[in-house]
Amino acid sequence: MSSGRGAIARKATTLTLPRLPSLLSFPHMEIAAIQTHGLTRSFDELVAVNNVTLRVAQGQFFGFLGPNGAGKSTTIKMLTGLLEPTAGSIEILGQPLNASALELKRQIGVVPEGMALLGRLTAPEYLHFVGRMYGLDRETTARRTEELLDFMQLAGDSRKLVTDFSHGMQKKLALAAAVIHGPKVLFLDEPFEGVDAIAAGMLKTMLQGMIQRGATIFLTSHVLEIVERLCSHVAIIHQGRLVANGSLDELRAGVASTLPGTESSQRLTLEEIFLSIVGANGTEPAQELSWLA
Amino acid sequence: MAGISGAGRYGRSETPVHWAPATGGIFSRLALAQYAALTAMRWHAFRNGMRSTRGALEAAAGGLNYLVYAGMGLSVGAGLGASAYYLTSHNHLWALPALLWTVFFVWQTTPIAVASFQQQFDLAGLLRFPLGFRPFFVLHLLFGLIDISAVLGALASFGIWIGIVLVRPDLSTWVALVLVVFGIFNVLLSRAIFAWFDRWLAQRKTREIVSVLLLVGVLGLQFLNPAVREHRRSAPFTPESRVATQQRLAQADAVQRWFPPGAAGRSIERAANGHAAESLAYVGLLGLYLLAAGCLLAVRLRAEHRGESMSDSPTAQKTAKRASGAGSKVSLAIGGSGPISAIIEKDLRTIMRSLPLLYMIGAPLLMVIVLASLIHNGHASWQAQMAVPLCIAYALLGFTQMIYNNLGAEGSGIQLLFLSPTPVRTVLLAKNLFHALIFALVALAAGALACLRLGAPDPAWLAVTVAWLVFALPLHLAVGNLFSLTMPRRINLSRIGRQRGAGASGLLSMLVQVAVVAVGAVAVTLCWYFGHFWLAAPLLLALAIPSLLVWMRTLAGAEAMANRHRDELISTLAKTE
Repeated sequence: MSSGRGAIARKATTLTLPRLPSLLSFPHMEIAAIQTHGLTRSFDELVAVNNVTLRVAQGQFFGFLGPNGAGKSTTIKMLTGLLEPTAGSIEILGQPLNASALELKRQIGVVPEGMALLGRLTAPEYLHFVGRMYGLDRETTARRTEELLDFMQLAGDSRKLVTDFSHGMQKKLALAAAVIHGPKVLFLDEPFEGVDAIAAGMLKTMLQGMIQRGATIFLTSHVLEIVERLCSHVAIIHQGRLVANGSLDELRAGVASTLPGTESSQRLTLEEIFLSIVGANGTEPAQELSWLA
Repeated sequence: MAGISGAGRYGRSETPVHWAPATGGIFSRLALAQYAALTAMRWHAFRNGMRSTRGALEAAAGGLNYLVYAGMGLSVGAGLGASAYYLTSHNHLWALPALLWTVFFVWQTTPIAVASFQQQFDLAGLLRFPLGFRPFFVLHLLFGLIDISAVLGALASFGIWIGIVLVRPDLSTWVALVLVVFGIFNVLLSRAIFAWFDRWLAQRKTREIVSVLLLVGVLGLQFLNPAVREHRRSAPFTPESRVATQQRLAQADAVQRWFPPGAAGRSIERAANGHAAESLAYVGLLGLYLLAAGCLLAVRLRAEHRGESMSDSPTAQKTAKRASGAGSKVSLAIGGSGPISAIIEKDLRTIMRSLPLLYMIGAPLLMVIVLASLIHNGHASWQAQMAVPLCIAYALLGFTQMIYNNLGAEGSGIQLLFLSPTPVRTVLLAKNLFHALIFALVALAAGALACLRLGAPDPAWLAVTVAWLVFALPLHLAVGNLFSLTMPRRINLSRIGRQRGAGASGLLSMLVQVAVVAVGAVAVTLCWYFGHFWLAAPLLLALAIPSLLVWMRTLAGAEAMANRHRDELISTLAKTE
């Protein structure tokens, strides 16, 4: 059996994207919502995130893609202050992110990997706890809790314990907790995983509303159609390295130029762009796993 | 930057928001709001836990656990209080450090015994909020104050305070101050030790170093032991030896007074004798120790607060890579291709990669060393005879933490057990066999340690011990199967100090353990009383037959019981905690 992972690695390291925009091609713009320089995180000998330099402008809906184990969640943890970088710097809204930047932490909302919910609380109790932890006064917390529960259609389950919620309900609650303090920068790690179509549509509306009001959203998702529909800019990380970064049109143009026989005018989907960049080699599993029924 | 109003954010009008300023002070408005939020959250979680019968049972068991430990603390406190009263009334306060060393050992060794038994809230989960380092530190200290070890230590210290103050009321404030400083030092030290152990044992290199150091330490104790024993035996208690003993005690006192329990005792003794300056100096020394323990803890917590991660998935990926690499890997594969060998192999791999599980196996051995030392200090011949049985019995009691929650490490993998065609009784049988095998190794190690420390046991006692084990182990496995299916709790596989409390199963397991030990003790005592001590082993072996039958019966009924408790098992082990 050929090593698919090896093939991906080879393709990713040899692919050059000459027409992709320079990573730092926004010198004229205002303060970036997120700015990293040489961001690196190692775990002993394993370099999970390797020298990632990234700029996300304020008001952008930014998609951060990569195959499993590419370093997406590690990057989000570093960007939200949950994990210390081995090297490099992070600036959020123009300020360096460190453990003592409490005011800055208050501008950040995050739906972390695993959601970090407290199972023995009800949804209102949990949201009230989160609001108070961010320093919101009681009245505001209570009001926003009520509004968020209404919006997320969780108000009817306000006496249910979080541990008894379905996965989708837990996702909605985690998202409500991430926005209760009105963050300017929102980090979402797989927010649509396990969420039904109705709830997903509702969440998308909410997120787009936030973008319209000037918030910045940094999103990771394996559902490329959603990313394509929501995000204006996309970066792709593979084996810890940033291998592409730009607007969707820029990525299309860059990839089209590297694929023989592809006209630059041909509209590539994000999935095609992604597969082209991270180098899925189209193995035929049915042949390799012939024992499958 | 403060003051995002969020006006109309969700389609309704919003009045201006009042933020607590985000400063990192211990008593800043934000910190106070966060303490209040945490308190409310803990209260809500407790109250919600009472909604279900099981939750109410857990809460009641938790309360009873505290009462049991409080009872133990009161007993220790009463004993130490009586001793303190005697020492004060007879003007022997120079011996007070002995009592404070006892408190110190109780405070520092209790967490080893109950680490995976008591509920521990993971404060690292709060780091996504704007929580300053100082409030984070204070929260660690506050959570340390409600530890079982702190309850025991505080009650013991309180006993000493009462004992002294009954004779010398004029010393009440000073003694209280010294004991409070001593108590805070103990809290900080125990939290620091655990935090650093978690850190060292989480990384392969430091884990190996710490393991080697522990091994060297344990062996060192054993080598030291024969010399001390020899010395004792060759020195009958004569006026000369009394003088020599006093000289050795004076030498020991000259050293121990510079350590925290000694400094605390010395400070009280100096104050009682009117040497205020010296007393103050010793409290100052104690304060320095407190500061040092605080710094030790702060260094660790600072790293955690900055976002240090000890057990992230990339490490796991690396381990997986290594394991799949050809050539250098150590194979944990065992023979056989049936489900039993698969489960044993999986559990072996899990244990080898999980610090808390390794700790569950190793902690009883650590306590056996302490127990052996305590027995060693006694002089009665019965103590030497019973050393090995006591140590092995203790090792089994400690080991029941693993036996009584044998599905706890499954996590969401519990669903696979219900999906696979393997019957639950086969799963439990595999786990029981595996645990019995590990316990055999632990018991051998405990027995060997006790023999090294106290000499070989009497063969009759050894036979009784083996017979008791043959009776007790199947019974514990049977009860463990019942508890595992009806009262499971998820084990945090990465950190010792982040476990959910044992609750009801903890309390019931304590009762079962007492009962199993009591049966053995009654059988042995009866045989000894009627002059047929040789009969104890056969009697216990006879009792082992119903014990084995009970075990087989629980295995036979495991399938039905697992199906009855399937939802609860999955929700407890697999869903959000």
